[in-house]
Amino acid sequence: MKPLTFEKRRLEEALSSITNEDLLALQCLKRVGLPNKKNEEYRYFDIVSLLQRPWTRFIANKETITQSEHLVITDGVITAMPRFAGVTIAYAQDIVPDANHFDPLYYMGHLLNPEIISIRCDKNVALHIEHRFTKKERLLSYRTALFVQENVDVTVTETFFALEAEGSFVLSGSDIFLARNASLELVKSQTLHENGYVSLFSHCYNLEEDASLTLRTFDFGDGSGLQLFQANLQKDANINAEHLLFAKGEHTQRGTVSKIMHVGASTGSTQKAKTILQDHARGIFDALIKIEPTGKQTVAHQNSQAILLNDGAYMVSKPQLEIYIDDVEASHGSTIGELDEAQLFYLQSRGIAHQEAKKMLIMAFANEMIDAVVDTTMREEIHVAFERAYYGATILECIDTCENCAHTVLNE
Amino acid sequence: MSNNIMDIQDLHAKIGEKEILKGLNLSLEAGKVHVIMGPNGAGKSTLSKAIVGHYDIEVTKGNIRYKDKDIVSMEPEERALEGIFMSFQNPVEVPGVNNAYFLRTAVNAKRKFQGLEELNAAEFLRAAKKLVVELGMKPEMLNRSLNQGFSGGEKKRNETLQMMMLEPDFIILDEIDSGLDIDALRAVSEGINRMKDGKRTFLIITHYSRILDYIAPDYVHVLKDGKIIKTAGSELVAELEETGYGALEES
Repeated sequence: MKPLTFEKRRLEEALSSITNEDLLALQCLKRVGLPNKKNEEYRYFDIVSLLQRPWTRFIANKETITQSEHLVITDGVITAMPRFAGVTIAYAQDIVPDANHFDPLYYMGHLLNPEIISIRCDKNVALHIEHRFTKKERLLSYRTALFVQENVDVTVTETFFALEAEGSFVLSGSDIFLARNASLELVKSQTLHENGYVSLFSHCYNLEEDASLTLRTFDFGDGSGLQLFQANLQKDANINAEHLLFAKGEHTQRGTVSKIMHVGASTGSTQKAKTILQDHARGIFDALIKIEPTGKQTVAHQNSQAILLNDGAYMVSKPQLEIYIDDVEASHGSTIGELDEAQLFYLQSRGIAHQEAKKMLIMAFANEMIDAVVDTTMREEIHVAFERAYYGATILECIDTCENCAHTVLNE
Repeated sequence: MSNNIMDIQDLHAKIGEKEILKGLNLSLEAGKVHVIMGPNGAGKSTLSKAIVGHYDIEVTKGNIRYKDKDIVSMEPEERALEGIFMSFQNPVEVPGVNNAYFLRTAVNAKRKFQGLEELNAAEFLRAAKKLVVELGMKPEMLNRSLNQGFSGGEKKRNETLQMMMLEPDFIILDEIDSGLDIDALRAVSEGINRMKDGKRTFLIITHYSRILDYIAPDYVHVLKDGKIIKTAGSELVAELEETGYGALEES
């Protein structure tokens, strides 16, 4: 293991055996420049002090892969995976990075990882990916790629677990390629802790003609992290992105930076962010929807709602539209505020204490997005993760959120 | 000894800068059905909001004694736990709060206040289901978000369900008959009549006498320009139907 720095000279040394994919990534990195506090995408997230630390990278040995119902990636390597028809999981070296991504760390991730975990789906499947981190104070970097073939519908759920990964920096991300008329529902839930790892995930989603992506991200806790993504939409492609963030703590910086590029005609995007901030946490929603001159008859809507639970919490909300053609329908909006007084009073008028009523409304604000998750197991897990992050424990019984349990009692 | 559950004396209340209640006096005998009638803008809803501690209302003078305690400075939830319940004219929608979870939390807050053991989710659902069926509601309404997307009738039935589950001592029905068709009005009225036990007190606020065909009042109070100007028995309803409020003057 050798120390890794992000100085240009060292990077070039490290790239002595350069491949075509590496060369492209390096050229692109040269174009966008190394990350610094002047980068718009890192203006509200302290990237400099994170990168200036003398990280030692941990590269895990590829172990024997056991069979499992889920794909398990431990410290960047596959440790367990399912073996069912329609999904091929392997290491690949030929994943070409997107040439127009906005994020320097997207290219750094590619340069650091000549081998990428590739998942190819050629049948309708549901796949769960569990990411595990087990090393303290290390740079853990890996990337994945997901390919969904033509006319195939896939659901992917992702969860993240840390076992003694205190002080580590996880630099990761995914390149997703949805072929013509493919559809993907992608649900991610990640709780970060103050003394745990910092996560920086930089993704690129490529949607071919008629493809559709539903992206639901759930970020909770008092640890810092940022997800960045660029989505490229070809003709008739559609993305529906929802982001729920609950952040607390004194130094937490957490959020989403994104660019949705409407390249083809008749594309659609809906992006909604809901943020709840406590203590001195900083929430970030810095999202651009760009409609290219070729993107006629695009429909794009973007909205951010934030609730600040106390003075000191800080929300950066920057929904942005960049439109280069007339024939489109687009809107964006942002609200930052407190809880609805009429709703609060209604709950109190039924004998529910003010503090408890506030908690119920915060849960309600979050539940709107959690309840939209179709996968029952994942939905319950997210309910519990949110409860734990917000209350410190889960207070809900299964019957409170599980329709099946309630129906069983009601149909007795 | 007085048999009144509530005595309101010289109550002045305003919304914003506008004074609505202007020295209102009203005594409500326990266990009876009281009706407040009056023209638009008389202050009927302001009175009900003042009793439950609504944030819109500022009481500037006077007091509201309930069970021999002045409740003017009490929090809304304290008043509710003491047994005051208001069925809202337009119950607010609360997306994301499960109706059953909300009602169980309210029921358990009341039980805790009374020193009773809290109900678990299954116990609660079984108890609620019985009443839901009696009220002609669909059981799945318990699993929906509180009041979200409910029709006018469904909202009123849901208010009645809450009332029946919480078993309050003092019930304010604010325009509960507005927007109800005959079937819904009958179902809601039957629910209310079942709760009449000679101990529980009702304060019905209404523009029209329609609901009084189903719920027989003991007293009718006429509220006009921020004051109660007349109190009489149920015969006053017919008189008001005939002569209107204009003929009445403060006595």
